[in-house]
Amino acid sequence: MSAEGLSLSDQHSSHVEIEGVALRFGDRPVFSDLHCSFPRGKITVIMGPSGTGKSTLLRMIGGLQKPDQGCVRVAGQEIVGLSELELGRMRKQLGMLFQNGALLDSMSIFENVALPLREHGRQGEDEIRLHVRAGLEAVGLPDVDDLLPGELSGGMLRRAALARAIVSEPAVVLCDEPFSGLDPPNVSRIESLLRDLNRNLGLTLIVTSHHMASSLRMADQVLLLQEGHSISGSPQELAESRDSAIVDFMGEDGAEYLSHHVSVKEGH
Amino acid sequence: MKGVLSRLGAWVTGGVVGLGQTVNFGASVLRSAFVSPLRGRQIVAAIYDSGVLSLALLCASGATVGFVLGLQLYYTLSRFGAESSLGTAVGLALIRELGPVLTGLLVTGRAGSATCAEIGSMKATDQLDGLRMMAIDPIHFVVMPRALGIIIVMPLLSALFVIFGIGGAYLIGVELLGLDGGSYISGLESAVAFREDVLQSIVKSLIFGVLLALISTYRGYACAPNAVGVSRATTSTVVTTSVCILLADFVLTSLWGV
Amino acid sequence: MSSSGTRDLAVGIFVVIGLMALAFLSVQVGGLSLGRQGGLVLFATFDDIGGLSNRSPIRIGGVRVGRVTEIELDANLRPRVQLDLSPDLELTIDTMAAIRTSGLLGDQFIALEPGAEDEMLVSGEDVVFTESATNLDKLIGAVVHGGGND
Repeated sequence: MSAEGLSLSDQHSSHVEIEGVALRFGDRPVFSDLHCSFPRGKITVIMGPSGTGKSTLLRMIGGLQKPDQGCVRVAGQEIVGLSELELGRMRKQLGMLFQNGALLDSMSIFENVALPLREHGRQGEDEIRLHVRAGLEAVGLPDVDDLLPGELSGGMLRRAALARAIVSEPAVVLCDEPFSGLDPPNVSRIESLLRDLNRNLGLTLIVTSHHMASSLRMADQVLLLQEGHSISGSPQELAESRDSAIVDFMGEDGAEYLSHHVSVKEGH
Repeated sequence: MKGVLSRLGAWVTGGVVGLGQTVNFGASVLRSAFVSPLRGRQIVAAIYDSGVLSLALLCASGATVGFVLGLQLYYTLSRFGAESSLGTAVGLALIRELGPVLTGLLVTGRAGSATCAEIGSMKATDQLDGLRMMAIDPIHFVVMPRALGIIIVMPLLSALFVIFGIGGAYLIGVELLGLDGGSYISGLESAVAFREDVLQSIVKSLIFGVLLALISTYRGYACAPNAVGVSRATTSTVVTTSVCILLADFVLTSLWGV
Repeated sequence: MSSSGTRDLAVGIFVVIGLMALAFLSVQVGGLSLGRQGGLVLFATFDDIGGLSNRSPIRIGGVRVGRVTEIELDANLRPRVQLDLSPDLELTIDTMAAIRTSGLLGDQFIALEPGAEDEMLVSGEDVVFTESATNLDKLIGAVVHGGGND
């Protein structure tokens, strides 16, 4: 999985593909003719000004939002027009981290994380316990088992939700704004967690964020959404780009990234 | 004039469309009740939320209604020298109408609004989409157990309401106003028949339960996913269900004859 | 775990109490008997049933033993009443059925007075000896006009 070619546009290496997608919310067009692809085993960060449909794009990959036109393919399977039952089958290979965690209020953290295993796994209680404990420890929450989601802070909640998203070992993890509203230690904690997941398990990660610095640090590919179309490339390519739209969006953080990373590589 | 007509038209169209969607939704809830697993844990939790937590309210209201009926009917009946029929009048009024209807309205306010608000806020905080992404059908996991809980709870609460009402009227009529306890009880027992009164009462409360379950879960499930949407859906649940229960009661009573 | 245990217990108790309430209403108040098929069903024909109606009680010596389930006119246009009685009741064939009023203005009911024969009535048979309702208007008329000119 990790030995795939580096060319990001190579169709064979892409895990999720979006082709010619158009979507309107009422009178407001969100996407007009969107093409993009997400390489297998890589981290793709979707960036862009708010209101350009970053979350909508994630929801579309998860089958939660149907496009008006176009194709969405996950692992080669066209998912537009599938029934809810078929979507359910497809979603077993996906994990999704929602912006606010979306843990069930009425269940303890342990039960929340155990839920996907209880629903679909064939493990016994002992094995589930082992998996859930491992997941919670991986996100740095070893002793919150019996707490309810309402008793956790925002950062802990998001980490617990991440544990739930990965506990059933999906091939693709979708993360909606994993860094928003978090303090710097929590940002770097979640960032390194996501990176470890990608490196150790070969997960395909698709992350939306407007946290510039951490996005550029962790991304293999950046997808910049701009009023219904997209520009993609490695962080370096984007940081070096002279395209005015990119330069405007990247702003000072991009320049800072450039000075820290690119200039070092160039041997100043 | 034209404006009024077109608004009326839009209102009717909206109503018909909404009704169709509600019925569709009800069909998928019904279907999911036969899909395994049974969701026993969730059903028990739903019975706790809408039944056990409504119990005190229902018993207190039942007794209070009984007090009032005891006083009012005693004075009305005593004008005709027929105080001894108090048991008959109280029993029939409670079992045939007041029990199921008032229970329906109280449970609507207590549990229907809570159910709607809970499902609505689960939607607003992506919990329903979160379930979908785990390949769990939210109708099966969230909606069906709550709907079933309400339907199970309604006849039980209605029966308790009636018994507390009969007891309340007994306290007033017999203990306070000095009516003969024996004639109260025998009037009650001889007037009330199982098929015509008790069975109809149970069927009524089941129908009100189905109405409340359907409306409250649908309004929550279909609400706009934000705070305003949830509060509107909750208000509309209480209003719509109350009107539907009163209308259904009239229709059922006139269908079955008095 | 223990909190969900208490919840389960509370739900269990609630359901039991609710079912008991339903059963109480059905059996005690509503008079549902579970072995209903075995009930004793008799018929009685009267000249005048007065204010008797469906569900009017049937008593023996003031004790309630059943109720009226159907009233219709027979071939001779006389009211024929169906009596639904408790199944363990044994009534002799010369039992008398009379329509009485509880108090001056109270409800009307059928009073059964058992006779002295050895043979017992079985379901579907008629109570032969009947006494019609006392018509209050006629009674008053008789007293006022000093004669019973019907």
